[in-house]
Amino acid sequence: MVGGIILNSKSTVEIITEWDIVVARQLGRNEAKIIGFGTVEQARITTAISELARNIYLYASAGEIVIERIEEVEKYGIRITAIDKGPGIDNVRKVMEDGYSTSGGLGAGLPGVKRLMDGMEIQTTVGKGTIIKIEKWI
Amino acid sequence: MKELQIQYKKILADYLKNQTERNLYIGQNFIRQLIQKKVTPEEVISIHKHAVEQIYPDITSEILNSFDFLIEIMVHFGLTVQEHQSLLVQQEELRIEMNVATKIQSMLLKTAIPKVNELDIGMVSIPIRKMNGDYVHFLNDEQHYVSVAVTDVVGKGVPAALCMSMVKYGLDTLEYANNNPSYVLEVLNRIIEKSVDDSMFVSMFYGTYDIKGNIFTYGSAGHEPAIYYNSRDQKFYDLESRGLLLGVMSEVKYRQYKIHLEENDFILMITDGVTDFRKQGDLDPRNVIKELALNYINLSAQEMCERMYAYLKDLTDFNLEDDFTVVIFKK
Amino acid sequence: MNVNVQFREDGNVMRGYIEGEIDTFTAPVLRDELEAVQIVEGRRVELDLSKVNYIDSTGLGIFVAFYKKVTRENVQLRLVGLSSRLVRLFEITGLSELMSIETDAEVELKQ
Repeated sequence: MVGGIILNSKSTVEIITEWDIVVARQLGRNEAKIIGFGTVEQARITTAISELARNIYLYASAGEIVIERIEEVEKYGIRITAIDKGPGIDNVRKVMEDGYSTSGGLGAGLPGVKRLMDGMEIQTTVGKGTIIKIEKWI
Repeated sequence: MKELQIQYKKILADYLKNQTERNLYIGQNFIRQLIQKKVTPEEVISIHKHAVEQIYPDITSEILNSFDFLIEIMVHFGLTVQEHQSLLVQQEELRIEMNVATKIQSMLLKTAIPKVNELDIGMVSIPIRKMNGDYVHFLNDEQHYVSVAVTDVVGKGVPAALCMSMVKYGLDTLEYANNNPSYVLEVLNRIIEKSVDDSMFVSMFYGTYDIKGNIFTYGSAGHEPAIYYNSRDQKFYDLESRGLLLGVMSEVKYRQYKIHLEENDFILMITDGVTDFRKQGDLDPRNVIKELALNYINLSAQEMCERMYAYLKDLTDFNLEDDFTVVIFKK
Repeated sequence: MNVNVQFREDGNVMRGYIEGEIDTFTAPVLRDELEAVQIVEGRRVELDLSKVNYIDSTGLGIFVAFYKKVTRENVQLRLVGLSSRLVRLFEITGLSELMSIETDAEVELKQ
């Protein structure tokens, strides 16, 4: 699902304060614009970055958002990777269920993030942290 | 999308030229199409923005920016709508499963009223929701004994139904109609206590009738007392037997009592759905039931049950909020 | 139809005042309120039901669950201020043998 060749060097934003979420959003939007996503798609990508960054800010003490351009045969896209050393997600399947979002807890926004993007991959270990990769193609 | 964009632009332009109800109506029909095609709110705003840009090429960038702002904040709105739609699909799946489960339950818990020459038996059990929280189980032993268990499971719906199946299989394994009520209640209590959670319990009235000796032996686990009519005294007696609900504590002893039935005596076993008038006022529900039973005393046990239900159902004070079960043993 | 619970600490006794009707719809509210109560060994819990006019079987289940929980923690539970209708309910279900309950009249006599 998640693959492709990395074109440019990646940009990384460390998420420590709430304002770092804004930095990550800005970076993501710029990249999305350069790649050629339309306004609606830019808004969706930014919202997805926002959700991932918020999860790091609220539930993990440290983490980062990595944004990179990806390319496959005749298609371009964006990949966002959120890496944290937080508590990890105990039950990924449950977090991905609709209706869970009302809980407002860790991972509550993930089903929405998946809807906004074309692909999503979660690796998580309780007590160690979480890596979430999402991508979207033009 | 291109096609929709063109259609929307035309509908919007028509409206801007002429603000008629007809043009609004066309707009609403169009949005119906968009919803069907799963177009999200932020996309609708984007379509609108492009249409406005084309109709008014000189529009200021401030107004266009405001649309971008709206697109941005409507992304979340769109997510909520999509989640809602997906939950609706899931709900429909659950509804179908529930219907299947209801069919299985009613098949599983089907009760046949035994035919015994010396005893007239009647029963009505009506669920308030899809699944019945009341259950009546008969055992009939080669015309020597007839037993009945009248059960009410706390709570409603699926948990109650699962618990009910457990009660049914517990009773099935006891197999013989001549078991003592106290033994039956003790065994069932142990089964239920082990398997259900803390807030779950079952109330049960259990009675065994010795057909040759005309002796009715009964015990109760937290169940609404049965009512006994003695025709010689022309009086009603409550068959009080205080025993703890099934499933609350592991080792509970249940007492049993005996009465001798004479010609025209009857025993009325009910669940609390029958006596539970929430706005009861001065009316004692048990007295209402006794009076009713007297009115129908010349009918068969089955007719008595049916008439009582028909009467209570139409009573204004009697807000049927629970499953309703009446069983009559009439000599 | 609603249920309202308020807890007050009174020395060694945790007093809960419950008001309203406890049925299938309000029972979850009561359950959450009771679950939140801090149970400390050696302390008593007393629930005042003088303003409860109706309990259905689901509501009864909440009290049974709460009774089991506090008993596991070696804490005494007392229900006070029960109307005659509620006393009857606890008697029929055999719960009056298990839990300590007091009627409205008994409370008034003491005062």
